[in-house]
Amino acid sequence: MALSSPANLSVRDLTKRYGAVEAVRGVSFEIAPGEIYGLLGPNGAGKTSIIETILGLRAPDAGAITLNGVDALAHPARTRREIGAQLQFASLQDKLTPREALNCFAAFYENAVPVEELLAQFSLTNKAAASFDSLSGGQKQRLFLALAMVNRPNLLVLDEPTAGLDPKSRRELHDLIRQLKADGRSVLVCTHYLDEAHFFCDRIGILHEGRLVASGSPEELIATSVAKTRLTFRTRQPLNAVDVGALAEVLDQYVHDDGWRVSTADANRTISALVQKLAADGNEMLDLQIQRPSLEDVFLELTKTTWSALP
Amino acid sequence: MKRGSTFSGLIQHFRLVLQLNFRSTQALIYGYLMPVFFLLAFGSVFRGDTPPLLPEMGQILTITILGGACLGLPTALVAERERGVWRRYRLLPVPTLTLVLSTLLARLLIIGSAIVLQIFLARLVFHTPLPSHSAQLALTFLPVAFAFMGLGLLVAALANDVPAVQALGQCLFLPMILIGGVGVPLAALPAWAQEFSGFMPGRYAVDVLQRCFTDPSAGRGAGFSLVALGIIGLAAGVVGAKLFRWDVGRRGGRLAGAGLAIALLSWIAVGAAAAWTGRLQPLPTSSGYETITAAQMDQITYDDLPGDNELVTRLAPPFARSSEPHQSDEIAYKLKAWPPAHVADAGQAARNLLSVAAIADIAADLHEAEIGRAVFDELQERIGRDQLRRILAWVILSPDAGTVITTAPELGLKRHPPERIVRERSVLYAKKYLGRLLGKIRDN
Repeated sequence: MALSSPANLSVRDLTKRYGAVEAVRGVSFEIAPGEIYGLLGPNGAGKTSIIETILGLRAPDAGAITLNGVDALAHPARTRREIGAQLQFASLQDKLTPREALNCFAAFYENAVPVEELLAQFSLTNKAAASFDSLSGGQKQRLFLALAMVNRPNLLVLDEPTAGLDPKSRRELHDLIRQLKADGRSVLVCTHYLDEAHFFCDRIGILHEGRLVASGSPEELIATSVAKTRLTFRTRQPLNAVDVGALAEVLDQYVHDDGWRVSTADANRTISALVQKLAADGNEMLDLQIQRPSLEDVFLELTKTTWSALP
Repeated sequence: MKRGSTFSGLIQHFRLVLQLNFRSTQALIYGYLMPVFFLLAFGSVFRGDTPPLLPEMGQILTITILGGACLGLPTALVAERERGVWRRYRLLPVPTLTLVLSTLLARLLIIGSAIVLQIFLARLVFHTPLPSHSAQLALTFLPVAFAFMGLGLLVAALANDVPAVQALGQCLFLPMILIGGVGVPLAALPAWAQEFSGFMPGRYAVDVLQRCFTDPSAGRGAGFSLVALGIIGLAAGVVGAKLFRWDVGRRGGRLAGAGLAIALLSWIAVGAAAAWTGRLQPLPTSSGYETITAAQMDQITYDDLPGDNELVTRLAPPFARSSEPHQSDEIAYKLKAWPPAHVADAGQAARNLLSVAAIADIAADLHEAEIGRAVFDELQERIGRDQLRRILAWVILSPDAGTVITTAPELGLKRHPPERIVRERSVLYAKKYLGRLLGKIRDN
């Protein structure tokens, strides 16, 4: 499927209020052609409001949105022709089949992708005549992605595309989204899953209480984290707290199961010191785990969210 | 783009709505099974009509349109909105109202098919005649469906969920069925309800549809009802379209209240106009002849009737063979202009005419036999054959019903015989007339 032109979305100072509640507060970001941009944030951070405003489903109170240099707010129908979208809270009629749904939606576009091609691309050929209510969660999500692709969009907007899916279906969708990027499409994706955001997003924006509090590549964001590498280990002969605290670069330590968990300023030096200590004592390492700072740490630091608030 | 792809998209959507309707058990039950049930229910009550069910077809079809438009349409729209289907539609590059329009057109076809089914089923099961003005029925269906689908759209806009649709829809459905002239015939309603029904669209829908079955002059006189339906449909449709919600979370608030007020104002305006133009005068109480069945008619005997040339209940032969054509013309002329023969209730009008024959007979009027013949001719000219049979049978079987006239000086009948005897003679004349209509007495 050939692209008609590259996408370039620009959101500037976007503000959206619902009565007294300011759901989105001056959010700005851009998506370059062929880029996957992830919007992360806890519930109520404003992700869906931003997406719905971009799609023209809601009118912003302030701000500007341009798609390929064209004012998207002034030309909502044109915007919808150029964007493909998969919404979190949207569905189809129970007795509708994937082929019928694709045929119907494709009929609204001049240069739509042939339905059979979409069915094949999204592995729905075998289910083309099955009713929507008989599809699995993964098949439904693939159908929604196919519907989003029906108009050969330059920009895909995906709102929680893997919510509620089993691990296998999630992995299939990850592959599909990466394939979209490989085809040169831009993707704006909202997700709760930090691991998948890290996995396929080129850049990530973290939203907190309607504001974009950080934006950058996953690595850039992780580099800003104040979190330290954590080592978790067990030894054959128990170590005491003094010995563990004396290891090189250890910042803090506490008992974890039958072993220890320590934070370190330099994991290599701490591990080296630990190995030397065990060798000197005739002791033996049973297992060792290294946990480096992750996107999750950054997310928690920036949104001050507790662990229990995460999905 | 865009016109071509928009049009082809809407055609696809239209087809899809139809296909999905026929895949839904619930839609089939409410769209086709319930109308058939109503038809059979009416048929079981009114099968004694001659022809069966013909006077009720307007009511039956109105119920079907009302149910499909005010309950079926909003239920489907709101159920899809609750599921998020309309959120997905909203992403299409066409105005949402064009999709609403395509949904309405599909619904129009669905309701139309249910009506055709009812008409042919009535023909098949009850031998109800087909509408005398089929083309006009097709054209009349449109404003009726327009009015009710406008209301359905408004219900969909106001209701937050499917149970609310049922509640709001029943608020429209039940009053129209019970006191709006749709379920219970208008003439059978008390005067206050008849007047109240003028403020509801159901009465006007029944009026225009029934004309297509029984009114020889077809659409003449239906102008007010058509305009009333148009106004009510336009007000509700415009407000419903303005308030249409594609998303569960978007509620009308104050706008919804204002929209509802506008829609109700159109009902009030129509009712006020009908009252102001004298259209809401209570209909005369039904005589009761409508319920006379063929079996009841068959039980009537004619053995006890005196001969046509005997002292009691003399009856001249048909006027073409009369020896005094001049005299019969004068009697017939007077009867045509006689006001009691023009009351709205056909049963009472017939009883009044029979009284004339009875008074002339009791008074031994010089022209009693010709008057008896003139009354028979006038009855046949004024009242349809099937209806006249039922009325005469009703007079015979219910001799004390209605009122009788005991003197008619304006017709030259100045005597004032007792009411009891007038009723007895009326019954005898009714038997002579009915026997002739049924071919059980030779008319010579």
